[in-house]
Amino acid sequence: MTLSKRILSRRRALVAAGAGAAVFALAACGGGGDPLSDSSASPGGGGSGGGTVIVGSANFTESQVLGELYAQAIKAKGVDVQIKPGIGSREVYVKALQDNSISMIPEYTGNLLLYFDPQATATTEDEILASLPQAIGADLKVGEPSKAQDQDVYVVTKQTSEQSGITSLEDLEKISADSILGGPSELQDRAYGPPGLEKIYGATFKQFKPYDSPAVKVKDLNDNKIQVATFFTTDAAIPDNGYVMLEDPQSMILPQNVIPLMRADVASNTAAVDAVNAVQQALTTEELTALNKQVDVDHLSASEAAAEWLKAEGLA
Amino acid sequence: MGTGTEDGMIWSYLLDPANWTNPDGGILILLAQHIAYTVLSVLVAAVIGIPAGILIGHTGRGRFVGIGLSNAARAIPSLGLLVLVVTLLSNNIGPIIGVLAILALPPILTATAAGVSGADPEAVHAARALGMTGRQIIGKVEWPLALPLVISGLRSATLQVVATATIAAYVSAGGLGRLLISGQATANYPEMFAGAVLVAALAIVLDLVLGLIGWLAARRSSPGRAAEMAFAAGADAGQGDVGARPVSAST
Amino acid sequence: MIDWGWIQRNLAMIGSLLAEHVVLSIVPVLAAFVVSIPLGYLVFRTGRFANVVLAVFGVIYSIPSLALFVVMPVILNSKILDPINVAAALTIYSIALLVRSVVDGLRSVPSAVNSSAAAVGFGRTRQLFRVELPLAMPVIFAGLRVVTVSNIALVSVGAVIGIGALGELFTIGLNSGFLTPIYVGLVLSLLLALIADAIILLIQRGSLPWARGRRTA
Repeated sequence: MTLSKRILSRRRALVAAGAGAAVFALAACGGGGDPLSDSSASPGGGGSGGGTVIVGSANFTESQVLGELYAQAIKAKGVDVQIKPGIGSREVYVKALQDNSISMIPEYTGNLLLYFDPQATATTEDEILASLPQAIGADLKVGEPSKAQDQDVYVVTKQTSEQSGITSLEDLEKISADSILGGPSELQDRAYGPPGLEKIYGATFKQFKPYDSPAVKVKDLNDNKIQVATFFTTDAAIPDNGYVMLEDPQSMILPQNVIPLMRADVASNTAAVDAVNAVQQALTTEELTALNKQVDVDHLSASEAAAEWLKAEGLA
Repeated sequence: MGTGTEDGMIWSYLLDPANWTNPDGGILILLAQHIAYTVLSVLVAAVIGIPAGILIGHTGRGRFVGIGLSNAARAIPSLGLLVLVVTLLSNNIGPIIGVLAILALPPILTATAAGVSGADPEAVHAARALGMTGRQIIGKVEWPLALPLVISGLRSATLQVVATATIAAYVSAGGLGRLLISGQATANYPEMFAGAVLVAALAIVLDLVLGLIGWLAARRSSPGRAAEMAFAAGADAGQGDVGARPVSAST
Repeated sequence: MIDWGWIQRNLAMIGSLLAEHVVLSIVPVLAAFVVSIPLGYLVFRTGRFANVVLAVFGVIYSIPSLALFVVMPVILNSKILDPINVAAALTIYSIALLVRSVVDGLRSVPSAVNSSAAAVGFGRTRQLFRVELPLAMPVIFAGLRVVTVSNIALVSVGAVIGIGALGELFTIGLNSGFLTPIYVGLVLSLLLALIADAIILLIQRGSLPWARGRRTA
């Protein structure tokens, strides 16, 4: 290669390297907007005020079932509806509500109150309902609460209960120091999670094991790889495996009635709200448990299970 | 509850020493788990893959099985295999290492086979002409010449395993992936970012270290060396004067 | 063992996941292919410096996919659940791999061929398009096959953070301890890879008649 060509190619190489380095520098700086709350968000299909209602659900079976129930009921009333299932935990979907990625999501009265007002002192159903509107602020509204309830519950296997005499959360401190607690990762930050157990019942666990998959959690509990686990009171796994639900005499876990949480602009869409409230009135804890079982054990999809129930109730 | 994405805040999870030393799922523990998974499964894969690769490379039989295996393995979705094994068996360390080793095996096998079969043919001829047995040829000529490629195979395997071990947390089996998954579940972006950075750093460090070892091995088995080894091997075999001939560049 | 009823009832969902998977794995390859040829050529022309660039790309390629998926929202300022994160990350991987193929391919062209072309009077560009690139194609195609198959396998990893196309079948299966969707996901994923690989091979055989029968790297 002649000298001039060599210089030229070297210059080109330097330019290429410089461009590459610039890209890397930009990437490494990171920073910039919050990827979790994009204020320029406009969900596909337009926003939700007076137009499409976007129903979201969290990443567990019951939430997806409830989401489908709401969405299909709204659709039957002729309102445009979209569904966004399987969004993460409360932190993630509340943001999604606030930035208009979704406009409605099924919630639970007690935990919802605690999320917005960690210092709340309400302990009964009525107290909680009364405190909600103020806690959630003016931009969000709740629909009618349902009789259907679903709490987080701590369980142990029948064996553990009989061997160590554990029937209530108060008994946990007997075994906690040598035991492993299993639950969803967000439990660690919850007031009724390990912090609550420590403060209220004096039970500190050796280790907390996060579980994203309920089936793996059941397996590990049965294999005694973990000794205590949290489930939902409507989980089919509890009766199916003979787990013992631990009592909560100090009401660390608040009553949780199913309730729809929505943006204020959707709350004025009467057709949609009426449809959802009709579902709320008809739903009971037993029926919710049965719906969950259809999805978890019989492997129906949430949408199929919801469709069947709505038809039987005459709501769709 | 801030999301911590203003400049600098995103590093907050990494910079808090409590997160490192936390005995219940702290970074050091997760890192140790991740490294353990990596070392153990690459070891298992190597114990199977290197002897098999030598056999295939030396005898020239089963070559198509070797290459086909490697291509097919690239197509396996690692999450799928992991979920399948955990659902069928459990998320104990045994099944997890099994999955990781299955994914690590093909690169090691094909690289070893390629290295051994591609070992400088002149050197191999010379060794055969000297009357060396198959085992001697492998040990004294083919293996040393194949070493750089074997190491590159180990390198690919290690990267594959580090990447798949990141997913192990999804089945509650520990490892650095836990930071990524928990972080996302709780919208804790600093935690997610910490997981991503640590995993990337681990992969890069291992890649560079193995790359260096491979480079050193390649320098040792340069063309001139191949001739030396044949000569020395010949001397060992007690055949006396061989007269090293110039050899062409090896792989 | 396999719940065929479930498969039948969920054909629509499986179909849409499959379509999503095809898009998420193929689009990055196409984008990378378009970028990598000129980029690879530039890198190749830097001579020995190319090895440094290729080493850097090698480092990028060593980063586990999940880590890259997670970091993308920061770089792209996109939302966490946006599929563009997966597509962008896969594009970066594909470029890292394809540039190496392009460079290796161009390097594999014997210098004698280049000299003859110059001697016959081909200009730089004509030489590149009529001589060097075509001869480099077998190696580039080999890289294309590797990249496509890898991408198809990597897309499902996105299911861990919620954007996984066929990977969602693995999530469904894992959450309920239900094997059928897992089998479906594995089979479809492997079939897709097989078909894509075969298609690229056919395209290669069709467009490079002089390279038929020639073993590639």
